[in-house]
Amino acid sequence: MTKYMVKISNRGNAEYEVDDKRPILDELRRHGVDLPYGCKYGGCITCAAKLTAGNIDQRRQVALNNWQLDNGYVILCVARARSDITLEIGTESHDKLYRNPFLEPLKSYQLKSDIASKEDT
Amino acid sequence: MNNVCCGPGYASPAEAINAPREKLLYTIAIYTGTGIQKPDYLATVDVDPDSVTYSQVIHRLEMPGIGDELHHMGWNACSSCHDDNSMSRKYLILPGVRSNNLHIVDTATDPKAPKLYKVIEGAEIKSKADLSGPHTVHCLGSDIIISFLGNAKGEAPGGYLHLDKDFKIMGRWENSMGDIKFGYDFWYQPRHNIMVSSEWAAPNTFMPGFDLEEVGHLKYGRELHFWDFEKRKPIQSFYLGEDGLVPLEVKFHHNPDSTHGFCGAALSTNVIHWWKDNDEKWQWEKVIDIENEMHPEWPIPLPGVMSAILVSMDDKYLYLNNWLHGDMRQYDITDPHKPVLTGQVFMGGLLGKAPKVNGVEVAGGPQMFQLSLDGKRLYVTTSLFSTWDNQFYPEIREKGGVMLQIDCDPVNGGMKVNPNFMVNFGQEPNGPSRCHEARYPGGDCTSDIWL
Repeated sequence: MTKYMVKISNRGNAEYEVDDKRPILDELRRHGVDLPYGCKYGGCITCAAKLTAGNIDQRRQVALNNWQLDNGYVILCVARARSDITLEIGTESHDKLYRNPFLEPLKSYQLKSDIASKEDT
Repeated sequence: MNNVCCGPGYASPAEAINAPREKLLYTIAIYTGTGIQKPDYLATVDVDPDSVTYSQVIHRLEMPGIGDELHHMGWNACSSCHDDNSMSRKYLILPGVRSNNLHIVDTATDPKAPKLYKVIEGAEIKSKADLSGPHTVHCLGSDIIISFLGNAKGEAPGGYLHLDKDFKIMGRWENSMGDIKFGYDFWYQPRHNIMVSSEWAAPNTFMPGFDLEEVGHLKYGRELHFWDFEKRKPIQSFYLGEDGLVPLEVKFHHNPDSTHGFCGAALSTNVIHWWKDNDEKWQWEKVIDIENEMHPEWPIPLPGVMSAILVSMDDKYLYLNNWLHGDMRQYDITDPHKPVLTGQVFMGGLLGKAPKVNGVEVAGGPQMFQLSLDGKRLYVTTSLFSTWDNQFYPEIREKGGVMLQIDCDPVNGGMKVNPNFMVNFGQEPNGPSRCHEARYPGGDCTSDIWL
């Protein structure tokens, strides 16, 4: 079993030890961190947080599109830590999670991975 | 027919219209997705103008946990078992779209202060029926069916959960989903052995939010489905195409002999009418087409987004909303092939036509609504779904939702905002919440079906 440290930058840089086999959401809640969540299987975005340092594995998430992934969002209910990480949590971190699709349409490479085109570079 | 029977509801729509006026109503209010770490709740609203607490929330029943996203709700029994005096309209079923939990609430013991009777856990529903993303609740005589929009992994098309009258999971209701790609709302007309269902999207698509581009990639529905109700399988589907993008609410006439019904196609912002013709064939046509509007600063024309429709108990008027434009409309559907616009009011919306109503700044636009049985009072709320609110109306986080009353003229047509009624969910004790669907204790214009 591997343990990593999660630092929460918008909660006074509080640090918590998490098990790399378990969802970060469950681990932080076990430590008493009050976090939003909904579906608990990676489909609904309610528990999204922003990763500002470190690595995670969130292959099970199906909620985020490439634009949101590029902005650092992590679905905590299915994500596992793969190193020590720093997160910004809660709706304060959601500044680039939601956009009005009529005002700022996504480019085709910014869609969800199953329908996105390759980015023109 | 036994006229002295004491089952729930009313013998007929005509009897329902003459029922006593509603004195309180229930609406769900959410904190899911708002940033406030509190459970969603069922609010009791006083709608009796003679009461000292008129136009206020007088009770709040919190759900046991956070993150449900309460949305729509339905009864354990309705007029479909009016002749069965062993049944009563006692329990309101409140599904959590995100948690998959079904909350069964006792509203009869004390109608002003409903109590939680039991919770059917989302995990149990996933394991026994492979379903998630609950939406519409209808009762079928003494049984209950609930549409779910996904399987346990949140993938379309989902199916229908069958509960018995004691809320035991009987499994899936349908015998087949046929070629149906998505689920959403449904309504049935037993005298014609027909059920009609509509299409939103997979939970994994709509729960995180709305992307226009995903409509083009066929991630959202554009079909209506007709079912053999007794055989519990689809028999015919109508491809609505560009006229029917994201067909959401479906309503038959209340008259149980009628074959006419309507669907609001949310993104196309059209009303689709269906009926059975003289050759016993189901037909459909577009009868209302709301034009997109240009927003001065936006690159893409703005659709109305007709997320709900409602038919008055006398089948004379159809009400619809344009959530993004900000208006509620009333159409005379005496001729269901040719609706006539008879009323329109604005509240909120993105076009800036009514930013303030009854002294309160409205975040969001008209969204869900419930009409009194006599057709005179339309209660309207402004939040659609937490993630979609957050995209289109981010200021709703601070302002919360509101409930307004529109006074409707059921004889000559016409609507106007009632100046004395405003329930501001921005002022709730735990912070701004968002109200959505509303129901009355005795049944309303979207709850009851006659056999």
